[in-house]
Amino acid sequence: MSSLWPEHLDNIVDEFKDCFDSMERYELLFEYAKKNPKPLPEEEWTEENQILGCQSRAHVICALNDKGRFILRSGADAQIVQGLMSITAIAVNGLKPIEVSMLTPAYIEEMGLKAALSPNRANGFLNMFNRVIQEAKILSET
Amino acid sequence: MLDIDAIRADFPILGRVLPNGKNLVYFDNAATSQKPQCVIDAMSDFYENYNSNAHRANHTLADEASAALENARSKISNFFGAKPENMIYTSGATEAINLVSYGWAKHNLHNGDVIVITEMEHHADIVPWQELSKEKGVEVRYVPINNETFVLDMEAFEIALEGANLVCVTHTSNVLGIRNPIEDIIRMSKQVDCKVLIDCAQGAPHEKINFETLGADFLAISAHKMAGPTGIGCLLTSKERIQEMGPFMTGGSMIKKVTTDGSTFKDGHAMFETGTPRIAEAIGWGAAVEWLEQFKMEDIHNHVHEIASFAGREMEKIPGIKIFGNPSDKNSSGAVSFLHETIQSQDLALLLDQGGYAVRTGHHCAQPLMDALGVPSTNRASFWIYNTKEEVEGFINHLRYICEKFA
Repeated sequence: MSSLWPEHLDNIVDEFKDCFDSMERYELLFEYAKKNPKPLPEEEWTEENQILGCQSRAHVICALNDKGRFILRSGADAQIVQGLMSITAIAVNGLKPIEVSMLTPAYIEEMGLKAALSPNRANGFLNMFNRVIQEAKILSET
Repeated sequence: MLDIDAIRADFPILGRVLPNGKNLVYFDNAATSQKPQCVIDAMSDFYENYNSNAHRANHTLADEASAALENARSKISNFFGAKPENMIYTSGATEAINLVSYGWAKHNLHNGDVIVITEMEHHADIVPWQELSKEKGVEVRYVPINNETFVLDMEAFEIALEGANLVCVTHTSNVLGIRNPIEDIIRMSKQVDCKVLIDCAQGAPHEKINFETLGADFLAISAHKMAGPTGIGCLLTSKERIQEMGPFMTGGSMIKKVTTDGSTFKDGHAMFETGTPRIAEAIGWGAAVEWLEQFKMEDIHNHVHEIASFAGREMEKIPGIKIFGNPSDKNSSGAVSFLHETIQSQDLALLLDQGGYAVRTGHHCAQPLMDALGVPSTNRASFWIYNTKEEVEGFINHLRYICEKFA
């Protein structure tokens, strides 16, 4: 990673920055909700992989592939959380877990979706993000 | 007839521009109302000019603070048709209901006694009774709602009333906006010598609540939904019920004498007002009541009903939107709960927020009602005195746009 987020995320960040207003940004985010590279189907949603403190239902599973690279699988019933998860999965999948553990949600802020990062909001993306970072730390130590 | 422009001018926050440049349109009044300038000023005046603890010292400021606290009690109790000695300051309706549970029911109900509540109660009027049930072995009966009309099943209520000792019912549902037939509930309960608590948190901002006329044993009220500050409310109850009560919280202010052998407690409402009173909040609530007294509560209800029924009618025209409740009913309050069939409620709230529209989303602290409705949450727009038809028109346009773009 050369900056605050992986370089391959730059195009997506720019895509959001080019949006006319917040409604257009959320429209784009809804599109990304459908493009999750590693979706977690509802039948795999369990209490164990549920994100706590999230009023919508959100689930993540973090693992390493056979090359030791990070893989985030995720699913949510709210499209805004699902979209943010998709973009996060695009950001982190294939990185070394140590790299993932150092990631900050700066890309979300840069995309103009700062409201999604407020811990007071009930959508819980921040809880999901923190869970991914925690799991990446654990996986980097194994 | 209300002069809405003049009313709006009393609320500085209604001129707020949000970070995204949109003007605030506040439709979360069932959660808390906004505060007029006179309430803000009254509280600032206390802190700027006579802040002191009440009832505790022989100096000028303490005397002024004590007088203001009791003056507010007189104004507020009078507003609700009660005497000052019938009013116990609490932190809000939740604490008022807990006070009935721990202060009255714990001392007067016994194993096998029955408490009747409803499916549409706020958690504040459910959990205290569940806890009491665990402690004392009382039975808690739940009266269902009709899932098509959303009103309380009064036949089921009549059956549940048999052998009951205490009925606890909300005046108005915070989710459905449905106003319960509390006069009938109180009359039927009294006929079988059953005590009655009415949770007036949602009712008090919308109609004139009169303690004496209603004849309930307990009324729980919150200030912050009726232009007053957060952190204060009251329990209104009779001299007879107060005499049956024991202390809820103990400590300073509520004692007659404390020795190493034990303590004795003050009589009347003083027994239940432990510690430093919420002086600024009481003064603010008094100012809110004075502000409300310039209007007829009936005019406020009619204005809110006109807006809510218009909102309900227009929302139902948007494909995919379902309303929970009956905003067109003349008794309904200003709360309109709704869901879209494919746009998740949290998503919908955030998208409405982008247009400046503040609505509530979630289970509204009424999970048993959500279970009865078969949904995990709803969106809720709730209106009050300062909202306008123009705001609702803008809201409908924005909601329609969201539904067209995001469904």
